[in-house]
Amino acid sequence: MNSRFSTWLILGLTLTFLIGPFLIIIAAALSAGNNLAFPPQGFSFKWVIKVFQIESFRMSFGVSMFLAIGGTFLALVLGVPAAYAMTRFKVPGAEGVKLIVSSPIIVPGIIVGLALLRYFVIPLGVGIGPALFLAHTALVLPYAVRVVSASMENLRVDMEEAALLLGCTRFGAFRRIVLPNIRGGILAAFILGFVTSFNQVPVSLFLSGPGLRTLPIDMIAYMEINYDPSVAALSALLAFMSIGIVFTAERFIGLSRYV
Amino acid sequence: MSDYVSLKNLTLAYGKTVAVEGLNLGVRKGELIALLGPSGCGKTTTMRAIAGLLTPRSGRISIDGRDVTRVPPSRREVGLVFQSYALFPHLSVYENVAFGLRLRREPDLDAKVMAGLETVGLTEFAKRQVPDLSGGQQQRVSLARSLVMKPKVLLLDEPLSNLDARLRLEMRTELQRVQKDTGITMVFVTHDQSEALALADRIVLMRDGRIEQLGTPEEIYNAPVSGFAADFMGFETILPKENGGGQAWRPGAVILGTGPHSGVIRGVSFAGELREYVLDSQIGVVKADVPASRDRFEIGQSVAFDLPQASAVSLARFD
Repeated sequence: MNSRFSTWLILGLTLTFLIGPFLIIIAAALSAGNNLAFPPQGFSFKWVIKVFQIESFRMSFGVSMFLAIGGTFLALVLGVPAAYAMTRFKVPGAEGVKLIVSSPIIVPGIIVGLALLRYFVIPLGVGIGPALFLAHTALVLPYAVRVVSASMENLRVDMEEAALLLGCTRFGAFRRIVLPNIRGGILAAFILGFVTSFNQVPVSLFLSGPGLRTLPIDMIAYMEINYDPSVAALSALLAFMSIGIVFTAERFIGLSRYV
Repeated sequence: MSDYVSLKNLTLAYGKTVAVEGLNLGVRKGELIALLGPSGCGKTTTMRAIAGLLTPRSGRISIDGRDVTRVPPSRREVGLVFQSYALFPHLSVYENVAFGLRLRREPDLDAKVMAGLETVGLTEFAKRQVPDLSGGQQQRVSLARSLVMKPKVLLLDEPLSNLDARLRLEMRTELQRVQKDTGITMVFVTHDQSEALALADRIVLMRDGRIEQLGTPEEIYNAPVSGFAADFMGFETILPKENGGGQAWRPGAVILGTGPHSGVIRGVSFAGELREYVLDSQIGVVKADVPASRDRFEIGQSVAFDLPQASAVSLARFD
């Protein structure tokens, strides 16, 4: 009886801490008041509507989407062949390469951002835009390599050999046999990469400038001046977007098999 | 008749490990050849080299008069049925069989695919997905997928080892029938001497990357050249002779209870019709099968035995 009670207690607390902030954000977003506050004052959709009217949010949403989709796409273009080479051929130093590729996960974002600014952007005169794009690609690369490697390791080599004997070239075997069979892994890597890039703050912080901000950076900037519930409304919308993506992915490809 | 598939002085290696050294082998057109041997003897490596999946360190491979040593697998006109079947899981049975034909843009695709499935008795499975098939069915799809390409040589890697006993017999008959119907040249790899004996026209017995003995099943079964070959062919009592050669007896040829030698029973196991004995004696370890209806000898018991010269096979080499 006692242990049952503690089980429920732990479960309840866990759920409260996981879902609680989300519920508070939703409540604050639907407030009719003029300040970001909980409990909300009244009920209205006006802040949700306001989000879509703020010009800078529309701009930075576009920037973030472009970085998340484009950066992840580039990371996959680089990462899928890398994963293939590392799982299929006994490349000397493959473990080292894997470690280097994974370093953006290990090294704190603040350091990555500062280092990129100080030793890449400033001395080489690289524009903020390309730097931001490359930084996001690099951040997503570990997910691309690791998730795709995992699904490639489950794929038997003899399927490719069979394709060769049936007349495929090496590249043809990769395209016709390997790619269709790691489709799920690639999609999973894409979603993970997208979410990682979209929610990225520390690296983007160093590589933002006038006229070029990612959405999270723009939200912080907005909050420094305006303390109204539109930020809560935007957060809630983004959370719903993430939930939607993950739910759809789980439904169609079984995302949880890959992560 | 000249050789249809010819391996000349073939040396195969993985990095520094030499798996096959100086192998010479000729396969005649329409022949069914078994590469037989224990694991690590180089039989699978040899097969992969014929398929082009492994480039020889030295030597030449030719098929139907054409030197294919440097020809990639896609242009060798060789089919391979993998031990794991290696079907494409994202494609249906039909699409698996159609795969190579589509790449070649062959006309009458549908008729050819269905004829291929017909050969292996799976026409009604055309629309099925690969993971829904049993092991035996997958193997037959794999066979059909290779056969529709009309390869010059069909290679099979342990074609029966993943099947249960009943399916094994069925598949064995099937392979013989396919070979008879199509007249295709087949090379299959196996570690099971009974499979090789039952299926092959000729057996290539391999040991440590070399050919130990090459001959018809009868030749190898009745006249092994060495202790190794004899052991593989079920001679279980193998004794040396002074000249470096040896003699071998099958367990059924050894007579227990009477004879000039004596030994101590070390083990006995019941095998239905027979009891199988293992004896330690001064001349070596002896194995004998005795009808189970006879009196049973107990472990530790001292027993006289005879190794009749009439049923002995003499070996050119003891090892």
